[in-house]
Parts: sequence; structure tokens; C-alpha cells
Amino acid sequence: MGGGREVLWRAVRGQRRDVLVGSLLGAGHQAGEVAVPVLIGVVIDQAVASGDLTALLGWLAALAAVYVGLSFSFRYGARAGERAAEQAGHELRLELVRRVLDPRGGAEQGRLPGALTTIATEDAKRVGAVNMAAIMGIGALFGVLVGAVVLLRISLPLGLLVLLGTPLLLLAGHLLSKPLERRSDAEQERAAHASGVAADLVTGLRVLKGIGAESAAVARYQRTSRESLVATLRAARAEAWQYGMVLALTGGFIAVVALIGGRLALQGDISLGQLVSAVGLALFLLGPLEVFSWVNAELAQGRASATRIADVLTTPPAVAPREGAESRAGNSAGLPEAGALSPGALPHPVRGELRLRGVRCDGLTLDLHVSPGEILGVVATDPAHATTLLRCLGRQTDPDAGVIELDGVPLTGVDPADLRLEVLVAEHDADLFEGTLRSNVAASDGALERVLVAAGVDEVARGLPLGVDAPVIERGRSLSGGQRQRVALARALAADRAVLVLHDPTTAVDTVTEARIAGGLREIRQGRTTIVVTTSPALLAITDRVVLLDAGRVADAAPHADLVRRNAVYRGAVLA
Amino acid sequence: MTDLNSGVDRELLPTATPARTRAAVLELLRPHRGLAIGGFAVMIGATAIGLLTQPLLGHIVDLVASRSALDSLTVPVILLVAVAVVQGGATGLGLSLIARLGETALARLRERFVGRALRLPLEQVEKAGSGDLTARVTGDVAQVAEAMRTALPELARSVLVIVLTMVALAVVDWRFLLAALLAVPFQAHTARWYVRNAVPLYARQRIAGGAQQQQLLESIGGAATVRAFRMENEHVERVTERSRRAVDLTMRGVWLVLRFYSRLHVAEYIGLAAVLVAGFLMVRSGMTSIGTATAAALYFHGLFGPVNTALVLIDDAQSAAASLARLVGVIDQPEPPERTAEATATPEEAVAVAGLGHAYEPGRPVLHGIDLTIGRGERVALVGASGAGKTTLARLIAGVHVPVTGSVRFGARERVAMITQDVHVFAGSLAADLRLARPGATDAELREALTRVDALTWAETLPEGLDTIVGEGGHRLTATQVQQIALARLILTDPPIAVLDEATAEAGSAGARVLEKAIDQAIEGRTALIVAHRLSQAATTDRVVVMDDGRIVQTGHHNDLHTTDGPYAALWNTWTGHRTTSDPDFPNSADSPGTATSPDATRSPESLSSSDLPDSPDRRYH
Repeated sequence: MGGGREVLWRAVRGQRRDVLVGSLLGAGHQAGEVAVPVLIGVVIDQAVASGDLTALLGWLAALAAVYVGLSFSFRYGARAGERAAEQAGHELRLELVRRVLDPRGGAEQGRLPGALTTIATEDAKRVGAVNMAAIMGIGALFGVLVGAVVLLRISLPLGLLVLLGTPLLLLAGHLLSKPLERRSDAEQERAAHASGVAADLVTGLRVLKGIGAESAAVARYQRTSRESLVATLRAARAEAWQYGMVLALTGGFIAVVALIGGRLALQGDISLGQLVSAVGLALFLLGPLEVFSWVNAELAQGRASATRIADVLTTPPAVAPREGAESRAGNSAGLPEAGALSPGALPHPVRGELRLRGVRCDGLTLDLHVSPGEILGVVATDPAHATTLLRCLGRQTDPDAGVIELDGVPLTGVDPADLRLEVLVAEHDADLFEGTLRSNVAASDGALERVLVAAGVDEVARGLPLGVDAPVIERGRSLSGGQRQRVALARALAADRAVLVLHDPTTAVDTVTEARIAGGLREIRQGRTTIVVTTSPALLAITDRVVLLDAGRVADAAPHADLVRRNAVYRGAVLA
Repeated sequence: MTDLNSGVDRELLPTATPARTRAAVLELLRPHRGLAIGGFAVMIGATAIGLLTQPLLGHIVDLVASRSALDSLTVPVILLVAVAVVQGGATGLGLSLIARLGETALARLRERFVGRALRLPLEQVEKAGSGDLTARVTGDVAQVAEAMRTALPELARSVLVIVLTMVALAVVDWRFLLAALLAVPFQAHTARWYVRNAVPLYARQRIAGGAQQQQLLESIGGAATVRAFRMENEHVERVTERSRRAVDLTMRGVWLVLRFYSRLHVAEYIGLAAVLVAGFLMVRSGMTSIGTATAAALYFHGLFGPVNTALVLIDDAQSAAASLARLVGVIDQPEPPERTAEATATPEEAVAVAGLGHAYEPGRPVLHGIDLTIGRGERVALVGASGAGKTTLARLIAGVHVPVTGSVRFGARERVAMITQDVHVFAGSLAADLRLARPGATDAELREALTRVDALTWAETLPEGLDTIVGEGGHRLTATQVQQIALARLILTDPPIAVLDEATAEAGSAGARVLEKAIDQAIEGRTALIVAHRLSQAATTDRVVVMDDGRIVQTGHHNDLHTTDGPYAALWNTWTGHRTTSDPDFPNSADSPGTATSPDATRSPESLSSSDLPDSPDRRYH
């Protein structure tokens, strides 16, 4: 909760200029709104009751002036408020994206991308909207105060009644919206879940059709939808009764004002016009009071959203930035013991020597040395071990024990962001992004042609009307699996890192192309440390040496041809 | 797949006409007629009772003007309190009834929509682009829900207040109503101006909102890639740009609404001045009391809020109606006809394809005159270069597309299941994913299916076994595991005919071998058509069908084909050619000359029995 409050407070403080302007103009607008019923009373008193035409025209002119004032202050005040709301939402959105993309990672673990996106859109918007709510609340409060002052001038008891009654009403409204806050939380989660299930089923439509599971999927969605309905109904009922109760309380309050005012008028303490004004003001107060209950609901939702945002922002990183530097991040992640390692910086340029000493992670136990410039093949009989190795090399996770060193510097001593400028782990399921083939490969002009040819993208480009400038839609869905894979490989080659780790880069391309790519890879990475985690013989054949991981350990290491000749497990893994 | 790039003349899914949309809404509400009538009656009652407040206040003014006794105030004040309590109670009840009506109808709407959407022919969905359906499932459903939840009740409440206040004004004195109506032309003009400007602006806003959403999904979903390539700043910039654009358009919308309110203020002033002048004239000529004039002015003053609310919601109602039309358009799609394929000539034939031809675009045929008969229990491999038409043929047989020419016939009551290159793990528990294939499956059956595809071991080591949440946001599975799940689903579906399209392609080669074994298990006892990427798979089938350029160019058993000069032998040599280590094209293979032909290398790997690959080893490894 503390984190949520901090997020909320920051969202308001960051927009203080607009909030201030909005509040001042909002107050001006409310003063104008108060003046309208007062002027109605005055017109009735001074003109209607007395039949004085001059007075009528004069007061109507005054009413016109009030209208001009309230209209303008509303227009510019509300604009400032909305600007504050949108700007705060925008800034929170970017803060969330920065946190998710932070090199240390961690924020997206255990959260659906869709759910995170909802937090970055809906929740950021809700928190931003607190600014508008604050402005409206301040304006309404000012309206109530002005109304009270006018009432106090008409009559002390009436004024006091309003001044004391309004906070009591506010308190009641606040107490009533408390349970709503809790329910709205649950409801939002449920609703998001139902819509997530529907989108997920539509994404998997081909799979469903393939096995004729449409009916089962429809039945599942129906269940989710019903559960969501139950939760929504509970929240809607609570909201309806809250609204009804606020209405009843306000009505009762106005009745009391009318009673006291009427008695005062009958006793001659106030004039008829003042009674009309007082009653009109009491009716007017309905508006600001309703605004208060709306503000309460907005704040409740804003608080719930701010808590969700704070949860994401304060997620501990998956890896520490650097040993000895955790304090900066202030995280509580269960980091591996640092041992006697001291923080260090990578030499420039990085030669690309990797050494794994006693590395233990998820069933993998590894001692391995990769010489600078070596092209190493890694064959894992268990694909999970391959994935673990990749995650450790890319510092998506740190090993439970042991050390990985690059040019003698422990990886845990290097900021992941700096590390990734030297070591690129190109994963099997890497995403492409919206843009063009060219923008995805992101090669410098001189290198483009080379990497395109090496990765076989030249062929892909030839098949597209616009060649390398062919558009690529989000996540590369406009390309086939084989095309995507080649573009991703070209991107990895274009990044030109001192150490490149490739994971199964050619599984979706045909054998002829694979052979071409293998040759291209060898040529383009000549003299640069490259690890290819694969079981493709075509790729393994171009490596200097292959390491066989079996049962989580290095079972054998030799050039591909030697392993094919001497190791049956290797043959089983590679040549079958 | 590149057709997604053009996207200009896509055949979007249908949208319903306004008349049909209205009819569909009535249809949804019909079962809840009682609730609807009850809810609206209570709301009308609540609003009408609330409008007693002004005459009661006017009455108090009259009592004061006529210098009545103090006690005379008691009754109207008690009535005011009663009005407040009844109004509050009735509003609470009415709103919750209407919410129940709306939410229940909404739930039925989205269920019917998803029900129909999932049964749409795949061909139609693909032609429209998958984004169309997804946008309707998420965006349009949310838009309608939002309107149902907030805009509609507010609009209904405001309209009720406006109408009943008008009635009340007429009851007080028709001349007050006339005066009040002076504001209407201004309001009507303002509303027209607003809608004219708002509709296109909000359409742009929604597009910008969608683009922002898409960018967020892409950057967040691809966070691992973004980090690996140090593209963090670039992606933050992309999000900034899209978010900024959405914010700018929102602010333009805000400014439009604010100018709209400013114009309404003018209308308010005109109406209020008219009512006051009318009161002035009528009181002066003795046609009405001061209290009545007061009540009329208060009534008109009380209209400001509801009128503003109703007018600004017109636009929300319009966009909700547009979304609704898009949902009803899909709901109204006719149920796709049951596959009424003719039976094959003899029960021994599982599939009989005759004269089959197909074109995705007119004039660009991809298949020509395919004749193919698959016997019951036979395993057939489709092989050929990329673009030969293998996938199209498989999809026609699986019934995904309707062939342009020719026919596909099946043996009696045959059912076809297909596993495609598209893999997807459904978000939820692993057991729930598998139960999509067989809803009533017991845990034992699930385990049995997983065992047969060799997946039970890893499945049981997942954090919560079969109850582990997988799919988007859940436990991440490897490509091999995902395909094993697809095969386990196939086993649970238990179709007599199975079509497998490159089920091993994305898994990586280590996984491919695991999968080949799993496939073997999954198609045990079924008629199977396998689009084979790895030719080792083709070698294990009963018959190989070689395709080239949309035609069948060769059929026969692997043993016969790979030794005969022809397209298959050529493919086989390319494939096995890269199973060697002595390719002189590769710079670094010079240190291992001819090793593959050494006696050691000729032994078959353990994972394959000798009967699986009956050809002589030297041919396999050169």
C-alpha cells in the first residue's frame, strides 16, 4: 500500500502547475455556479415579487456576466485538469515500460504481457485521472465553502448547518465507498481474466480447429464469463446502493436546510428572496456533493491502480546489477552468494574468452573453457539444459553456484546492460518487431548486405515486393516461421558482439538453405567467439569443437567429426 | 502469409445493419423482460418522486410569502425527507436491477459472440486477418461493456429526469415549458456540431489507442529480445511516441467537449432568462404565484446537469452501437454447414482425393489435379520443396479450405484432426489445456496420453505438476514440450485420421527426434498423412508422396524411391548430404576428411531400430 500511495502522490506532484491552475479556475467556476441560484433568488425577490422591470433587466445582465465567467473558468480549468491527468498517465506508462525493459529484468515474471499492458494503459490512466478528481474535488469544496459563506451572511444558523452537515455527508460517502474499492479490485481482475481467456482462445484458433475442440473451448469460456458475471454483479449492486444512499442522505440534508430556512423566514429573520437563495443553494450543493462521491470512487480506483503499478515498479530484479551494488537497487531478491568476488569492469576490447567454473544451475553442472575467437558447438541431450546455459550466459539468471567469467571478469560483476553490449544470446524464440526487414536487422549500411547473405535473408527479401524494405507487422507475424528465423539470425549477426550465442537458429529453414547459412556463419564470425547451441549437423560441422552435454554434465568434447566417430550418444543426438 | 502486408482489400468479417443490431439487442433482453420492465418502472418512479422536491420547496416559499404558522412547515419538510428516502431506496433498487439486466445480457452477448467466433470457418478468419477477430473479442466487447455499465444507466437517468421535468414544468404552467423550450434549438445545434466533430476525432483516438496498445504488447511481450539487443531506449522511444500521440488526440477531444459545454452554457442562460422573464410577467399579471415561479426556475436550474450529461453521452452511445454492430455481425454468421463429404467407394479407403485443385487467389492455382487415396491405417508422407503445395493439400484434406475443384471423400464416419505449424499453449493449467481435446478426461487418461508422447516425466516435475499454469504468462515451455502437448491433445481427441503438418519444424533438432518418437506413438492405429520436413520421417512411413509445383510427381515406398533416379532421390541426397562432416564447402571441415564413411559411423544410432531405416548406412552418411 505504501508504494501505491507514493505512486499516487508522485502523479499529482509532477503536475502541480496544472493542478494548481485547474483548482483555481475550478473554484472560480464553482463560485459562478453558486452565484446562479443566488441570483435566481435575487431576481425573484427584487424583480418578480416587486414587478420592477429595470431591476429585472439589471439582474439578468448580472446573471449574463456570471455565466461568461463560469463558462470560461470551467473551460480552461478543466483543460488544465485533463492535461494533468493525461500527462501523469503518460509518464507512469513510460516509467512502467522502462522498468519492464530494465536490463536486470524481473518485472514481467509471473505476469501476462497482456496484464502488464493493461497496467500500463488502464491503471496508468486511472492514477493520472486522480489529478482531475483532485481538481474537481477542490473546486467542489470551494463551491461548498462559497455557498456556506453566502448562507452564513444570510443567516448564521443556516450557514453553520451547511458547514457542519457537509463534512458529515462527506464522511458517510467515504465510508460507503470503502467496500466498493475492495470489490472493484476483484471485479477488474475477473473482467480482465475473461477478456484474456477470449483473446487467448482466438489466438489458438487454428489449434482448436485442428483437433475439433471448438465446443470444449466455448464451454470453458462460458464458465469464465459466468464467474466474471457473478463478480461484476456484486460490484454493480454495491455501487447502485451506495449511489442510492448518498442520494437519500443529501435529500434529507436539503429538507433540514428548508426547515430551518423556512422557520427563519417565517420569524422574519431572513427575507423571502434569501429563503429562495438558500433553498436554491441547498439544491445546488447536490452537485458538489455528488462530485465528492464521484471523487471518492475515483480515488478508490486510483489507489487500487496505484498499488498495482507500485507492485510492478518495485518487483525485485532477476539479477543484481553488480555484486556489491545491490544496495543501489534496494532489492530483496534472493541473490546468489557473492563469495570473494570483487566488482570489475570488462576490458576494452573484449577478447571473448569464456570460462565456466563449477557452475551449477537447474540440474546443470558445468566446467567449460571457450577460447577467444573459438566457434564452439554445444549439443545438449536435454533441451532444458541448453536453455539454462543460455539464460546464465545472457545473465537472465545467475547460477546457484560457481562462476562464469568473460576475459577473467565474473559476469556477476558486470552490469547486465554492459554485458549485453559484449555478449549476445540470440534465443530460439526471439521476437521480431513492427517495422521493415531492414529496421529489424538494424545493420549499419556497410554490413547489411553481408549479414543478409550470411543469414539467407537475401532470399527472403527477393520474395517480397519491397525487398528489404518490406513491412513487418508486430512480432513478425507477416512472415513465415522460416523467414522470421532468418531475419532474427541476421539481426544477431548484425549486432556484431564480441561473443555471440546462437540457439537453434535454423530449425525452420530447409536443408539447402541451412547449409548455406552454416557456411555464411562460419565466415562472418571468423575469429569472434561464437557458441552455437544446436543439434544440426550442418551447423556443428562448421564449429571448431563441440561440447556434448549429457545428464547435465560435459560428457565429451571434440571436433564434430571425432564425436560422430567415437561417441554413440552424440550420434544419437545429432545424426538420427 | 505475406498477404498480411497488403491488407488493403481484406474481406473483413461482417457488420450487422442498425435494424438487425436493434433486433439482436431485443432478443438478448427478451428472456429478462420482467427484469427490464421492473427495473425501468422503479427508475421512473424514483425520478418522478425526486421531482416532487421542487414543488415542495416552492410550497414552503408560498407558505412563507403568505405568512403561515410555523407548524405549517412540518408537513412539507416531512414529505421532503420521505421523498429523499424513497428516492434513494428506489434509485438503489432500480440501478441494481438495471445493472443485473445489462450485465446478464452483456455476458450472454459475449458468450454468443465467442461461441460463434470460434466456429467461424478458418478460411474466413484468415481472409479478414486475425487482427479483426481479436480486435472484436477485446476492443468491441470492452466498448459495449463500458457503455452498458456507465453510459447507458447515466443516459437513461438523465433522459428520465429531462422528460419528467418537462412534464412537471407543463403541469406547473404550460407557459413555463414554452419559455424553457427556447433553449432547445441552441442545444440541438450544439449537439449536432459536437457529434459531427467528435465522431471522426474519436475514431482517430481509438486507432491511436490501438497502436499504443499494440506497441506496449510488442515491447513488453518481447522484453527478453529487447534486452538482449540493448534496444531498451529505442523501444521506450517507440512507446513514448505512440503514447504521446494518443495523449495529444485525447486532449483534442477534451478541448472539443469543453467548447461543447461552453456553447451549452449559452443555451442555459437563454432558457433560464426566459423562464425568469416569464415568471416576472406572469406574476405581474397575477397568472401565477411567486412560489410557482420559484419552482419553475428551480426546475429549469435542475435540468442543467442531466441535459449536459445526456448530450455528451450521445457520442458514447454511438460508438457502443458501432461496436455492437460488429459483434452482432459475427453472431449472425450462419452456422458453417456440417462437412457433408461423400463416403469413399470402399470402407478400406480412409481418404479418397480426386481431381483436387486449389487457388488462394483467382488465377494463381497452387494445386492441380491431385488424385490420392489413403488406405485405412496407412501412413503417408508428403514431401517436397517449400512451396510445392504440401501444406495446401494437407489443409484441404483436413477441411480447413474448401477446394476450388475436385473432391475429398472419407470412409464412413471418419473424423480428421490436424496438427499445424502454428503452436499455441492455452493460458491456464496444463491439465485444462489437455482437457480441451477431451473435456471429460480423467487425470489417469491425461497421464496416459502424456506418457505416450514421453512428456509425463517433465510434466510431473513442473512446479505444480499438471496443475501448473502454462501458456502466456505461465510456466514457459520449450518448443519440444509445446509440440508434445499438441500430440498429447491429438491422442486425447483420438481421431481415426490424423494430418500432421511439419509438427517438428520449430522444435529444434534435438527436440525433433523426441518428437518423431512421440508422433509415432500419437498416430499409432490411425490413418496418417504427414507433411515431412525431415526425410528420416518419410523413411518410416508406408508410402511417400512427392510433390512439386502443386502436383504429385512421384509416389512409392521410401526403399524403392530413394534408389531410383527421380525427384525423391534428389531430395534424399540433399538431405543426407548435409548429414556428413566432409563437405568441402565448409572451411573448417578439412581436418575430418572422410570420417563419416569409417566403420564406426555406419552403426545405426540407438534411437532408431534397424527396421526404421532399412537403407544401407553408407548411403546415409555418404
